[in-house]
Amino acid sequence: MRPGRGALVAGLGLLALLAGGALACGSAGLGLGEGGGLALLRLPRVVAALAAGAALGLGGATQQGLFRNPLADPGLTGVFGGAMLGLATLLGFAPGFAWSHAWSLPAAAFAGALTLSGLLVALGRDGPPARLLLIGLGLNAFAAAGTLLIANLAPESRELLVNGGAGDWLGMASPELVVRPALLCLVAGGLLLTLARPLDLLALGEDVAQAAGCDLPGLRRRAIVLTALAAAAATCLVGQIAFVGLLAPHLARALVGPRHHLVLPAAGLAGATLLLVADTLGRSAWPGTPVSAAAVMALLGAPLFILIARRSHG
Amino acid sequence: MAEATLRLDRLAVELGGQRRVDGVSLTLRAGEAAAVIGANGAGKTTLLRAIAGLLPAATGGIEVAGLDPRTAGPAASARRRGYFPQQPTCAWDPTVDELGGIADQPADWARWRDRLALTALATRPLSTLSGGERKAAHLALTLAMLGEPYGALLLLDEPTTSLDQPRQRVVRTIVHELTRAGAACLVTTHDAAWAGDFPRVLALAEGRVVADGTPAQVLNADVGRAVWGGP
Repeated sequence: MRPGRGALVAGLGLLALLAGGALACGSAGLGLGEGGGLALLRLPRVVAALAAGAALGLGGATQQGLFRNPLADPGLTGVFGGAMLGLATLLGFAPGFAWSHAWSLPAAAFAGALTLSGLLVALGRDGPPARLLLIGLGLNAFAAAGTLLIANLAPESRELLVNGGAGDWLGMASPELVVRPALLCLVAGGLLLTLARPLDLLALGEDVAQAAGCDLPGLRRRAIVLTALAAAAATCLVGQIAFVGLLAPHLARALVGPRHHLVLPAAGLAGATLLLVADTLGRSAWPGTPVSAAAVMALLGAPLFILIARRSHG
Repeated sequence: MAEATLRLDRLAVELGGQRRVDGVSLTLRAGEAAAVIGANGAGKTTLLRAIAGLLPAATGGIEVAGLDPRTAGPAASARRRGYFPQQPTCAWDPTVDELGGIADQPADWARWRDRLALTALATRPLSTLSGGERKAAHLALTLAMLGEPYGALLLLDEPTTSLDQPRQRVVRTIVHELTRAGAACLVTTHDAAWAGDFPRVLALAEGRVVADGTPAQVLNADVGRAVWGGP
């Protein structure tokens, strides 16, 4: 028997505790600071990690459901690469505009993510899901190269873009930078939750899903647009961090089973928890030498991922 | 006479430049059932998929409860139709009961799960079941999703293949009961004995209906040669 809904409630409670802990942890040691001052300073970063982690977990679970493949992840299918390329294009060629128009960053990331998702679907149409993933890998490499090229062409944004590529943007979190992408994460995440039923039907194969009344083209459109939005908003907050979207759905299925009305919220919770823990550890475990959330995520996530993969296939 | 649940008028399907179904006409009313027999590749599965609305390029007339599944929109035409594919799959590894949860009809699910002797397997992941048990679980899901049988169309593609004898008997009984309750059932099978239980049998060869009638008219040596070849 799997714990099901109880696991969701327990996970939410755990996440609240961890968020409280994250507000009290930092390079200045333990404590909330005078009048909660330090906690207030850390709040945008904690919110950013929670929102981005949840969006990534939900985006990963949606892509795995849509492609019926446990390897799908916005980080591998080029959606992330597209978001980063969109941001790089804006920051590299029009940095003045980017910083004076608050919505322009998430908009550019969304445009990039959507373009790459569209290319992925157009090129991989009518093929098996595995081919779609291979095409995604190619697109991702292409987008990463584009981002690097722009970073080289635009010296003033170079450091920023390199840090973003390494998933090291949480350190810049400020209320102004966090509020809009976090809001978008919330909207995209909430709408992704509504895809649970069609994703359950799709798990039974395209024929059965369609025969049962699932509007497959409509589901694909909604899933791809919303995953692009979630990935774009998360990229604005963290930069590129691949492992959360891959690992969170696996963790979720191991805990609550494969039904999407449980997997989607559980993957959101798992993603938020993973990124929050990775970021909190990265900025407080080695005072004076903070480590990026992406690095800690891979360090902790990779062994966990291998463990789950071995258990679920043996 | 009751309104037709299924009406096919010279249905034709071309896939990959090849005619897979050619000029099939068939009417099934509430409470009528027919078996479709034919060799591998005769077009049985393609016929069922076209009726299920999965092949928009199919030409000719298809009406399910008065609606054309190619144009009615997926939700509208799915409401009164159950479709069981030849090789049901699931991308993940749910337990039998988690699979049944997809039906969103707990009472119906429990009933069909019990009928198909899956109760003791309810908490087992599908990956730990035998091929036949897995198939039975998917069949129970299809039946649970169907809801009220009267006026519904049930399309079953080789539902008894790879099931053990007791489950095969249960499936035959279920199809009989659902038909009596007012469903229209179209079933493909390689089991000539079961086909003989249906009031009507269609024999397909190379996409065409080579015989259509009672078992006595269809299940004979002449039709057998047309369907399977040989002397």
